[in-house]
Amino acid sequence: MTISQSVAITVGDEKHTVPEGMTVIQAMWHLGDAMVKNVGCLGGACGACAIICRLPGQMLPKTALACQTMVSEGLNIRFLQGDPSKKEIAPLPAETPSRETVFQYYPETRRCVACQACTSACPQGIDVMVGVREAMIGDLALVAERFTTCVMCGFCAAVCESRIRPHRMGLYARRLAGAFYPKPPTQLDMRIAEISSGQFDREWNDVMQAAQNA
Amino acid sequence: MTEFELSKQRVAEGRESRKAAEMPRLSADEKEALLHRYHPDKKKEAYATIRIGPNQGQQTVHEVVRLLEGESPLTSKAPDLNPAHQVDVLIIGGGGAGSSAALMAQAAGAKVLMATKLRLGDSNTVMAEGGMQVAVSPEDSPVRHFVDSLKGGQMANDRTLLKALVSEGPEVAKWLIDMGVLFDREEDGNLSIRSGGGSSLPRLLRCKDYTGLELMRVLKDAVLNEEIQLLEFSPVIEFLTDGEGTCTGAVLKDLDTDKLIVVQAKTVIAATGGIGRLHIQGFPTSNHYGATGDGLAMSYRAGAALTFQDTFQYHPTGSVFPEAMAGLLVTEAIRSVGAQLLNVKGERFIYELETRDAVASAVIRECQEGRGVETPAGRKGVWLDMPLVDVLHGAGTLAEHFPNMVKQFSRYDIDISKDPVLIYPTLHYQNGGVKIDVDSESTLKNLFVAGEASGGIHGRNRLMGNSLLDIVVYGRRAGKAAAKRASEVDFKPLTLSHLDPFQAAKKAAGVVSETVSPILFPDYVNKG
Repeated sequence: MTISQSVAITVGDEKHTVPEGMTVIQAMWHLGDAMVKNVGCLGGACGACAIICRLPGQMLPKTALACQTMVSEGLNIRFLQGDPSKKEIAPLPAETPSRETVFQYYPETRRCVACQACTSACPQGIDVMVGVREAMIGDLALVAERFTTCVMCGFCAAVCESRIRPHRMGLYARRLAGAFYPKPPTQLDMRIAEISSGQFDREWNDVMQAAQNA
Repeated sequence: MTEFELSKQRVAEGRESRKAAEMPRLSADEKEALLHRYHPDKKKEAYATIRIGPNQGQQTVHEVVRLLEGESPLTSKAPDLNPAHQVDVLIIGGGGAGSSAALMAQAAGAKVLMATKLRLGDSNTVMAEGGMQVAVSPEDSPVRHFVDSLKGGQMANDRTLLKALVSEGPEVAKWLIDMGVLFDREEDGNLSIRSGGGSSLPRLLRCKDYTGLELMRVLKDAVLNEEIQLLEFSPVIEFLTDGEGTCTGAVLKDLDTDKLIVVQAKTVIAATGGIGRLHIQGFPTSNHYGATGDGLAMSYRAGAALTFQDTFQYHPTGSVFPEAMAGLLVTEAIRSVGAQLLNVKGERFIYELETRDAVASAVIRECQEGRGVETPAGRKGVWLDMPLVDVLHGAGTLAEHFPNMVKQFSRYDIDISKDPVLIYPTLHYQNGGVKIDVDSESTLKNLFVAGEASGGIHGRNRLMGNSLLDIVVYGRRAGKAAAKRASEVDFKPLTLSHLDPFQAAKKAAGVVSETVSPILFPDYVNKG
């Protein structure tokens, strides 16, 4: 084992020293915090461990996921709890959706002033603002693609001066784009029909018999 | 240059000459010999005999024995069991299985309550990268999917459960698509499919390398849209029974107040997930924070039998460097598109798309026999040559199809399109679990179990892409069956009297337990 160096970090208002080479979450455990509310998948996919953090040389803090951030000298960390933005009860429509479908539940999307705050707040590196603009012109497929890696941490909504909820709008656009994909999955539809018509029944009988004996 | 760097250089130098080389596949005998010698499931000293309960006399790993033989946090006399909630279906767990169950039960008209230990969606589902196996291509069939899975499961799978799994795959894929899950598509609109280890044809549906996140986001959104009653940060700590072999509810603990919440339910669905955070045999894990086998311990104490409780999946490619990433998964899909495994000498040692048990055993063999690479923190591993993917399929392939992998490693300044990464098997999945029938019901009446907490479907080794399928297929089956049952039965008495015979059996068997189970969270504060 190599002997690790220590680094000084600040969590909230408290100063601590922890070994380097740890993630912020691992450092919290090291400091005796059992962590319940700010920890989830530990793999950068769930958004539970959202933090804002700042290094000594920086003027402004940046957003990050604590399980994906290494401690470093002077790092100042604040955990954020949950995403308080409201999720609208937004069912999928019966008819092919348009931007109006999105605006029906997330009308504030139209108010984007292109300030880029959401983009700079995204710990996943999504160009959120462009996604919002794509929704404004009604290209739901582009919006969907844009939000592929969204972990729903809600940072974008927290920083939006126009009170837009980009992550929630983005997820709704993704669901619309998925449910109303322009070309049907023909092979899948055929397979479902084959199964319900009993096309595999004989093969199943043979295989199940062989498998029971195996 | 250190050995570490020299070895990495050898990998880069050999890339061009290796790229088209075929690797022989293992014969059945070779595979069996490899597993026997190197698979962690075969390590006798890691195992002990279960001394009490429905599986008494059978074996599992020490960590699970401790859980099963653990003390209840409650005694049969302790709390006031006046229910705070009365529901048709209580669902425990907010991952893919629990959410699918909730949607189906609600759709069937049942009054549903979901209780989750962390937030809705915090689960292993959200981390699943590779995909979901569904036989959609014209050359493929559910029967073929069945045969592949059976071979992958060492021929041990419960045939009836497996048949239902593969037969319902296409219908379930359609259900997900109709809810708005965006699987990758081909130009003509068909679902894009990819190969997985142990599968004779490509049949993995996927959303880049975020398949689980995509599924979970949509399922969660659907659950919220349905306004299903939800208690977050409220793990179950014990099931309630009528004292005569029927599950009648559960005791939850509110993590904010430490207060107990009693729920009376006509049926209960345990969708509590896996066990990775028990770190069986000291392995790092790819699992989420809450994967502590709660459902196993509570179901067992209430009288439900387990099956295949002795077999675990060690995913061959868990990251071992940098140290902060130890245990995190590198998706198998990266091997299906050509990434190779190489030892310290830069030599291949296994066909990369053998089943996971075989590939993991081969990696362990290389490391045990001195052909592994040591990390600065003292872990051993072998190389996974991901840059080869871009060499084979064109620059930018990794970035386009594996954005999650690219992002995770880039956070530690590792560019996977330029450098190989070090991997070693990571504890990934509980192959077995609570024994269920084809309606997902356990041997304890009115207790249904779905997803990773259940056992039998996957035999002794699960194929890649069969667990995302499992959680949705059996989550739905459990939801439907539990709702139907709830419409046929009345509320029954709430007791903890099943704890008495369990306690008596422990005493008789001389079991002294220092573990209180369920443990709910791993203890990283005291154990580092």
